[in-house]
Amino acid sequence: MVRIFAAVLATARTFSLLGIEVREVHVEVDVCSYGLQTFSLVGLPDAAVRESRERVRAAIANSGFDYPKHRVTANLAPADLPKAGPSFDLAIAAGLLAASKQLRPEQLDGVMLAGELALDGSIRRVPGAFAMAEQARELRVRAIVVPVPNGPEAALVQGLRVVPLERLEQLKRLGTDEEPAAPQPIQLSLNGAAPPGPDLSDLRGQPYLRDALEIAAAGGHSLLIIGPPGAGKSLAARRLPSILPPLTRSDAMEVLRVASACGLLGRGQLAVRRPFRAPHHTISTAGLVGGSSPPRPGEVTLAHRGVLFLDELGEFTREALEALRQPLEEGRVAITRARGAVELPCRFMLVAASNPCPCGRGEESGECECQPTSARRYRAKLSGALADRIDISVAVDRPSATEMGGRHGVDSATVRKRVVAARERQERRLGPGRCNADMDLVELRGAGQLSREARRTLARGHAQLGLSGRGYDRVLRVSRTIADLAGAERIEVEHVARAISLRRRGQE
Amino acid sequence: MSDVWRIGRGEPGYPRALLDLEQDVPAALFGCGSRRLVSELDPEQTVTIVGSRHPSGYGLEVAEELGYLLGAAGLVVVSGMALGIDSAVHRGVLAGNGSTIAVLGGGPDVVYPRSEHRLYERIVAKGAVISEMPSGTRPGPGAFPLRNRIMAALAKMTVVVEAAQPSGSLITAERARELGRDVGAVPGRVTSRVAKGTNALLKDGVAMVRDAQDVLDLLLGVGVTSTRRSGPRLEPELARVADAVDGGAATPDAVALAAGVDASEAAVALARLELMGYLRVDGAGRYERTSLTPPDEEPSTTLGPCEPTNGSRSA
Repeated sequence: MVRIFAAVLATARTFSLLGIEVREVHVEVDVCSYGLQTFSLVGLPDAAVRESRERVRAAIANSGFDYPKHRVTANLAPADLPKAGPSFDLAIAAGLLAASKQLRPEQLDGVMLAGELALDGSIRRVPGAFAMAEQARELRVRAIVVPVPNGPEAALVQGLRVVPLERLEQLKRLGTDEEPAAPQPIQLSLNGAAPPGPDLSDLRGQPYLRDALEIAAAGGHSLLIIGPPGAGKSLAARRLPSILPPLTRSDAMEVLRVASACGLLGRGQLAVRRPFRAPHHTISTAGLVGGSSPPRPGEVTLAHRGVLFLDELGEFTREALEALRQPLEEGRVAITRARGAVELPCRFMLVAASNPCPCGRGEESGECECQPTSARRYRAKLSGALADRIDISVAVDRPSATEMGGRHGVDSATVRKRVVAARERQERRLGPGRCNADMDLVELRGAGQLSREARRTLARGHAQLGLSGRGYDRVLRVSRTIADLAGAERIEVEHVARAISLRRRGQE
Repeated sequence: MSDVWRIGRGEPGYPRALLDLEQDVPAALFGCGSRRLVSELDPEQTVTIVGSRHPSGYGLEVAEELGYLLGAAGLVVVSGMALGIDSAVHRGVLAGNGSTIAVLGGGPDVVYPRSEHRLYERIVAKGAVISEMPSGTRPGPGAFPLRNRIMAALAKMTVVVEAAQPSGSLITAERARELGRDVGAVPGRVTSRVAKGTNALLKDGVAMVRDAQDVLDLLLGVGVTSTRRSGPRLEPELARVADAVDGGAATPDAVALAAGVDASEAAVALARLELMGYLRVDGAGRYERTSLTPPDEEPSTTLGPCEPTNGSRSA
């Protein structure tokens, strides 16, 4: 008796997410009409990808399709690219259905798919759908198939057909007239309309703290707030994103790419705004700057184009704080692992807060329970931590009863207008997208004239207050921002004096 | 790096207090920093504070506090820049904008201990470093007991903060006693190793020093709180802001509220007052007044500044 050994091959295209970048992956499925019923998956899959076999098998069986009774081999190509996560499920299932003739192969032509399967055949959301859609457009495919919850983010990419699928059996409709309609894209709020979120008018009294926030926002300067609990440190920090300039479209896309890759686009969130991240001080270094294998974005990347808030700066491990230096300086982190390197963006504004001493009450309050030596050690750690990366430092007290009962302060929209005007002056001087905080030394020297009195005051600060060379540069940098906020071309003595009062203390 | 200067014995500017050493008078003094501070040194307004190189946290605290308050009160504070108590004393004085002299065992340009080079630079910038050894001399064995006699001779009073038994600090105290100078000691726990020497001194009947006022009482007479220095005249707005800080407003926001000025004016005023020396700021960014007083509120007990930079003495 002659048996015909027929092998049927089908290909489906999907993506592999690495950090926040996406690479194309081909899923080749081969169904052999002989052999035992097995399902092998090759091509550097991680544990979640390997388990995909079980999900695919159950989902196919529970969606009214037949699971082939022969040997199935699925290969994820390129074979040397590590693959992680469950987002390959849908493509593997589609390839298998095509190879077993339950889908017409041309239905998968020019289509890329991503989705995680549930055992009952429904399709779950995946991280990174936005970056996947961007990649799909670049590859000029006809359509991208995504889970329904990922539809809005994928639909932001123009010139690409997005097919949202809820269940596996809907694959049959692919390439027919019944193909599901494209979803509504996420709304980008870019045009300066105050984004929803906490408003600066909640901050009552504390005019100096407000000024410090405004100056920090205007120049992109990192900020340290020192004060007892209840002084409004985190209240103030949380309101910083609301006075930062509106996101440009390309910045918003970057924010979206990161949020999407990290699965942070909640079902309810339909607007993109500047992120605010406040990791707890017990966070690991990898959690803060990114790491592990496969590489995952850290908090610095999640705060990209927004604010990273480190409450209780003195409690973070020295290692974690040291690891922040390179990201702060370069605006990106490179994570290198044995199986390849990824680079993640991390342009964020750093805001740190700290109690004045370990018990938090402050030596001056008369209630402080700290040993003087431990209080001193705490301060030493505080002034040492990231000392050369923080431009502005401000001491705050609990607001008085009269301040608390007083009128609401100026709202975010008003302050933001001033910030935007100051940033425009900086961009005219430095180029698009730049601000005073990232001036190099040459730009700093050329950043406008100082009045004679301002120069003298700066020199006296250098001589009498023991300002280091770097401290001097920082004061000059912040003076420039204060002058920009005042709309002044020349740096005047009051700008320098205010910058001196905002300088970082106790660097010995 | 400032240049090394030399004052030979018998030359003008040689500190007369050192002549009390009789056969041991140094042939010459070498120094870095303010020569004037050394040559105009008045032993009646000078205190030497020394102590252990392995102090307790308590000792460091007391030493820095004494240095701070006595320096701010206008005394010149002499110490040896050794690790531990000595360097804490110098740090305290510098923090209070006071004047301080470090007496080294090696040449005045040889930083010893090396780890204190930052402190050394600050002392040279704001005070003076002196030695009887010419520049470049490395401190050898026996250099430190010799240097101790200079520290003892320079001041009317020597205070020991913490000292083991035996120790160099006790040698300094012994030299001071031989020279007829006052000696004081800070009491410590009887079980503490570094308090053995100071408690023994106290048992022998030296003055007990609990705080800066005890030293001022002995040196200047009971009740005198400082040899205050006065600063430049203040405009009304600056005076208001300075008063607000005096009244306990420590943060710019509190100052703005208390002085009735807006936040940016307060910031400018605070920075100007700090530059004038009326205010200082701690590591947490809180402001406080220094001992510097505006000219018109100068108290009658004023003994005149010993500050090297403006040097004008009003008796």
